Parts: sequence; C-alpha cells; structure tokens
Amino acid sequence: MSKKKVKKVDLGLRQFIKDLGYVTGGAAMLGAMPWLQSFTPEKISEIKGEKARIALIGTGSRGQYHIHNLLPMNHAEVVALCDIYSPNLEEAGKLCPQAKQYNDYRKMLESPDIDGVVISTPLNWHAPMVLDALSAGKHVFCEKSMALTMNQCKAIYDAYRYTDKVLYFCMQRMFDEKYLKGMQMIHSGLIGDLIGARCHWFRNHDWRRPVPSSKLERQINWRLYRDSSGGLMTELATHQLEVCNWAAKHIPQSVVGMGDIVRWKDGREVYDSVSLTYRYNNGVKITYESLIANKFNGMEDQILGHKGTMNLATGIYFLEEDDNVGNSGIEQLLNQIGSKVFASVPAAGSSWRPETKKEYKPHYVIEGDYNINDGLSMIGAVKDGSDEILSAFCQACITGEKGKDIVEEAYCATMLCLLGNQAMDEKRVVDFPEEYKIPYMKF
Amino acid sequence: MKEIVISVQRIHKELLFLLTCFLFAFLLNVIAVITYRTPWIEIITQIGYVLAITLVVYCFIFLVRGILFFAKRFLRKHSSNPVNRKLPTIKQMQ
Repeated sequence: MSKKKVKKVDLGLRQFIKDLGYVTGGAAMLGAMPWLQSFTPEKISEIKGEKARIALIGTGSRGQYHIHNLLPMNHAEVVALCDIYSPNLEEAGKLCPQAKQYNDYRKMLESPDIDGVVISTPLNWHAPMVLDALSAGKHVFCEKSMALTMNQCKAIYDAYRYTDKVLYFCMQRMFDEKYLKGMQMIHSGLIGDLIGARCHWFRNHDWRRPVPSSKLERQINWRLYRDSSGGLMTELATHQLEVCNWAAKHIPQSVVGMGDIVRWKDGREVYDSVSLTYRYNNGVKITYESLIANKFNGMEDQILGHKGTMNLATGIYFLEEDDNVGNSGIEQLLNQIGSKVFASVPAAGSSWRPETKKEYKPHYVIEGDYNINDGLSMIGAVKDGSDEILSAFCQACITGEKGKDIVEEAYCATMLCLLGNQAMDEKRVVDFPEEYKIPYMKF
Repeated sequence: MKEIVISVQRIHKELLFLLTCFLFAFLLNVIAVITYRTPWIEIITQIGYVLAITLVVYCFIFLVRGILFFAKRFLRKHSSNPVNRKLPTIKQMQ
C-alpha cells in the first residue's frame, strides 16, 4: 500500500471536471460520459495525500512523454522503469533518478512496491504485457491500440471482465476537453441528426527513426512491420474511429477499403496510404483517409449533421444556416438575384451550377485559448487529454475503481482498425465478426 | 461653339430622379436586412452598396429616358401627318 503523506490534492482533474460543467449539468454529463464518474470533485477528495506507485514498461519517446506528465502529479510517483533498449532506459533514468531500472518486465512485475504499470511498447507486446501485469495484481495503463490481433483483443477483454484490477487504454480524446464539450453539443442535437463522419490524418514523414545498427531495425522501426504494428490504422485511426462511435453511439457493421505503399518504398510492410469507408446499419458512413506523404489537410475529425458540422479536432463547429458568413443582407439579396438571372448555362443544356464550398461562420466549442493537436507529432500533442487520462489512472490505482467504458471503447476502436486492415488486405467488404462482438456494442 | 444651357428646372428634375433612385436602393437594403435577418447597423455600414445601386439604377433610367427621347424625336421627324411638321418661320422664308 502507498504511504500516507499530507500533500495537496491534485486539483487538475477536479478543475477539469468542473470546467466541463459537472456542477451545472452533472447527471446528464456523467450519463453521456460515464468514464468521468470516478472523477467527480467528491471522489477526487477521497485520495487526498495518497500517491500511486507507477512503473513504466517501455521508455522510448512515448514512455518519456508519460514520465513528463507523471512527474508533476501529486498523486503519483515513478518507482520503476523497464526497457530492453538501454539508450532509452538511460534517457528515462535521467528524468527519474530514483526509479529502479529493469531490462525484464516480468522481473519488475514481481516487485510488491508497484501499484500500477504504464505500458508504452510496440503493439505486439501489448497483449502479453497487459495480461501478465493483470495476473501479477497490478493496475494497468496501456498505450493504444489494444493489441495486434483480434484474438489478443478478445483475450484482454475477457481478462478484464474477471479482474478486479484497473485497466485503461490511452484513448486520450475521451478526456480531451474539446471532445467532451463537443460531444455534449452533438448529443444535445446542436448539429442535428448524424448523417456522416469524415476523418483524416495526413502527415509528411516517413515514420522512420535513426537506427544505430541494422539488427535493431525491426525493434526501433516497429511501426513499419506487420509482426509488430497495424500501421496507420492502429497507430492513428484508432483515436478517430473511437470518436465517431462515441458520436454515433453505435458501431459500424462493415468496412471496405484500399491500402497501398505509394511514397515510402523502403522495405516497410505497412501501408503509407489508406482510404476506407465504414458503414453503420442505418447507412451513415465514416470516410477515413490517412497518408504520410502530404500534410496539407492535417488532422480532422468531422462529425456531419443535417444542421451543422462539428470538427472536434479543432473544437470548431459550423451551422448550415450560417452559409453566408460575412455577407450582409444586401450582398445576399444581390447574390440571390444574380443566381436566378445567371442560373442556366445554355451551352450545357439543362440548368447547372457548381456547388462550390461556401464559407461558414466558425463557432467555438470552448471560449478562450485552448490547444489544437495538428497531428504532426509522432510523440504526442500538448494538452490533448493524455495527462488527464493518465492522472485519472493514477487516481484509480489509489481508489481501485475501474474506469467505466474505457476498455470497451478501446476494444471497439481497435477491432475496427484491425477489420479495416483485413478489408484492405483482402480487397473486399468485411462485416464485423459475430465471435468478436461484446454486449457493449450497439450496431 | 454652341452654348449648352442647363436650366434650373432640368437640374431639379435630375436631382429628383437621383433621389428616387437612392430611395429605391435604400429600401432594397432595408428589405434585405429584414429578409436575411442581418444587423440593422447595415443600414449605415452598407451605404456603399446603396450608393452603387443608386448610380446603376440612375444610369439605367437615364439610358431608358435617352432612348425614349430619341425614339420620340425620330418618330416626330418622319411622321406623315403634316400637322406635326414644323413649318418654316417667316424669317426663314425671307
């Protein structure tokens, strides 16, 4: 058990919940986002003065990102580090000189002085490490996606159902203020009925890291090889598909797509360009695209309703009725007269006018300054929910309270990513397999 | 060189036409504000559009009036009715 110390309670998460309007809209908000139920101001006060003892497995760039988030937390301390790659372990050791260092995570899990582990390793290691850590009686926080294969995802989910330990996956958008407020607005009907979603993630980077020796190629550049990575889908799309499901409150039934290696023909095995369509049973579709040789369009999560569009990634929404932004009344009147007069194009025969993209007045989900993730960083963005979800995990390590729906959301999103990969590989429409459906899913 | 005399009546007449065009354009702006539910401050801020429309409408009306004037004159000149012909004055006959 952690030692009791008289320390100030971490107000960060408490304030975060308050800012979301817990005080005014409490029950409705918690009903729509049940994973926040553990972090109401009343429950946060229960952990006053206590610290969760956290160990990290995987101390590369993302692991060190988590360390930077953990260090300022009053309710957590880093007690152990583990990595098979010594340079990473040394770098992390400089950040946490007091933490004990390991090369074998199984030996680390034997230590009784650890409450929770944070796993930031290649995707193929997620399942064995999560299962071993849960078996060892540790609370677990694992990077997304859940696992490399559908069977592994199912194994984790089944283990989670029967364990009393806390399990989180780093689906940080579930704790990102823009997304939380945006979802409140979507579910309140601001943009009307959901009629589609368009998500994309574009970068211009080969995803490679420098390798000191060719023997380390597959270890360091694990994202590029199929035995350790699901490529763009599991590394990027998982967040965005989770957001779409969150908005739709349903899971897509089928997916079709195409994947190719278009630009980075350097021996990698995963696609550098993917384009997929996921279909819900009511006909609503998610259009997903990702490529890493052009960053013009950046990263967007657009939820389309019949009354408006919410771009959750930027925290901006647009309403259909505002399609004449900046136009005065007299301008609109003249435009309307002009369109009636010049509507027909005699050369084309029947009336035709191109519907070019209009300008809409932007509305902001959050007033004031806030961070926007441009999607370009391979390590992580600032204030994108990562520190909030990690803080929530550390609190859960103290209280022992499982986070509601976090594992289920991660499971659904990961399964959809893996199905997307299957659809692209097999070049056919793939339906969600019955054997992998769980009660949480609504089709 | 022939002197062109613009009478005061002519000036008044043209100013009246201009004022009418301005009122028309102003009314158009008001209708637009009501129809598209834009801020009433546009009565002032969109005065540029109002003046531009005034000018366009005035020029259009001027053009129409000019065409009508020359059409009338043409018809009068070539009309078969002798009553309509201008008779030479005694001075011209002398």
